[in-house]
Amino acid sequence: MRNNSQGLLRTTYAYGVAGVLTLILLLAASFWLVAKTQSASDDVLQSREKLGALSNLLATVLDAETGQRGYLLTGESRYLEPYQTASDNVAKRTAAVDSAFRNDASDKPFIDQIHTAIDTKLSELARTVELKKNGKSTEALAVVNGDTGKALMDRVRLLVGELTSKVDSVLHRAVDQQRTTASLARQVAMGAVLIILLAALGAVATIVKYTRELVSARQEMETMNVGLEERVKERTADLKRANEEIQRFAYIVSHDLRAPLVNVMGYTSELEASLDSLSKIADDPQLAAVPGGPEAKVTIQTDIPESLGFIRSSTKKMDSLIKAILKLSREGQRVLTAEEIRLDEFFNSIAAGVQHRLSELDGEIHIGKPLPVIESDRVALEQIFSNLVDNALKYGVVGRPPKIDIRQVSSGWGATVVEVEDNGRGIATSDHERVFDLFRRAGPQDQQGEGIGLAHVRALVRRLGGEITMTSELGRGTTFRVALPKKLQIQSEQASG
Amino acid sequence: MDKDGKPVKIVMIEDDEGHARLIERNIRRAGVHNEIVPFANGTEALAYLFGPDGSGEISAKRHLLVLLDLNLPDMTGVSILEKVKANVHTRRTPVVVLTTTDDEREIKRCYDLGANVYITKPVDYENFSNAIRQLGLFFSVIQVPETQ
Repeated sequence: MRNNSQGLLRTTYAYGVAGVLTLILLLAASFWLVAKTQSASDDVLQSREKLGALSNLLATVLDAETGQRGYLLTGESRYLEPYQTASDNVAKRTAAVDSAFRNDASDKPFIDQIHTAIDTKLSELARTVELKKNGKSTEALAVVNGDTGKALMDRVRLLVGELTSKVDSVLHRAVDQQRTTASLARQVAMGAVLIILLAALGAVATIVKYTRELVSARQEMETMNVGLEERVKERTADLKRANEEIQRFAYIVSHDLRAPLVNVMGYTSELEASLDSLSKIADDPQLAAVPGGPEAKVTIQTDIPESLGFIRSSTKKMDSLIKAILKLSREGQRVLTAEEIRLDEFFNSIAAGVQHRLSELDGEIHIGKPLPVIESDRVALEQIFSNLVDNALKYGVVGRPPKIDIRQVSSGWGATVVEVEDNGRGIATSDHERVFDLFRRAGPQDQQGEGIGLAHVRALVRRLGGEITMTSELGRGTTFRVALPKKLQIQSEQASG
Repeated sequence: MDKDGKPVKIVMIEDDEGHARLIERNIRRAGVHNEIVPFANGTEALAYLFGPDGSGEISAKRHLLVLLDLNLPDMTGVSILEKVKANVHTRRTPVVVLTTTDDEREIKRCYDLGANVYITKPVDYENFSNAIRQLGLFFSVIQVPETQ
């Protein structure tokens, strides 16, 4: 799921970046195309200006020639006026052409040729007009008939025509250019729009796909959760059954073990009763006279009572062990009831319970306050901590006044951890796990006990949903750490069991 | 013993022969000499108490006292107790429960079902014989009611 979502992020970013890049490219292309269009339209404008200037120039020269012809034909000065105006304008028109072609150095020689041709033509025109003014009409006509004027005019036409067609081709190119640029701009825009649309679609598709995956993953998780709950229930039921079986087993075993024990003990007592009548005979002095009599006396007075004594003490021992198992098994079946317990008051009462023994031993018990309030089973808690405090007093070091410290060490994750520290004889590291086992004890066996206290304590703590651990140093003391849930979870197992 | 002189029979339902013998010896030592009818399993005991037809009519005219062990090979003593106390002909028969367990809940259950006395068989033999002897005294003062 994690890889997947990272992949999704990457894909979405990729689509976003593609969209933005396309936009930037589109912008750049637009600028470039606009610049290109601009230059093309400049070309068009310039070409138009050139064409206009050229055609104006040609028209003016033609006007001048027309005026000259009219004057030469009629000799009337009103025909001279157009000639005069036209030849005056030629300089202006030439300047306009120069200005139009100012940026085209390559056309300069061509324009110079046109200038020369026009100048020559104008001077021919001026000569004929001058001759006519001076009354020499025949000479003027001769000049015209000489065809130099026509040839000059043809040359001017030719030159201007050539330049015009050249400019025309430039104009066409520029117009073509404009058209191409425009269509290119259209294509680029369409392409960009297409790419952006695709990117957006891709991003949307990715998000939709991811959302679908999320939804299906959630559904899967929900079904898994349901399955998990069922499995937990099944396992809990299994554990419950196993636990009940162990309880029943312990109960039946201890119960059935006691039955033969009753017989052993009962018939031992019967034997003792029978022995009473025998001992009367043993005291009889006549017995010494009977063969085997002295041996029988020893048997009756020493051997049999000794054997019976061992049978009796062993039976008692066995009975106490069986009782211990029975007690543990019954404890496991007791219904727990959660109630609010103020731990400070609770430990005060525990301390009060051992006050008499404490003062006898000159010891002290210290309860670190403040202590929290927890919800738990009071009887179980009393058994747990009474056992621990009792052990602390029982397994002290001779000559060292017992000192017991009870304190809370941490409180988090819904658990309260209480430590019970003593300055007793301690427990060797190799025995740390062993002391929690049933019927196992550690250290010098100088105190009464069956070795069920700590086993019982651990069973109780676990039943309350907690755990007990210990640290100890031989000869220095022991610290038991009891972690208890702040709130006892009563399971259905306990309600029914 | 009955005021009409009809002897009370002691029905002892106990699978452990040793226990049965110990109980018998102690009863006799306590001076009780009533007939003891022993049964080592529940089925035979029920057959005796309720007759072949299972109606219990057979016990209507009998004067019985039941000594009952709770741990039997074929059924629990509790179910025998239940049947005896549920049957109209046997429900007034006194039942003394004699067993090895001293589990409070079980004791309570037996009393709830109508047990008259509950005695734990202790390993400590002196207590046991004491209890049995007291039971003998109890037998001698008890008025076994006339059953219909």
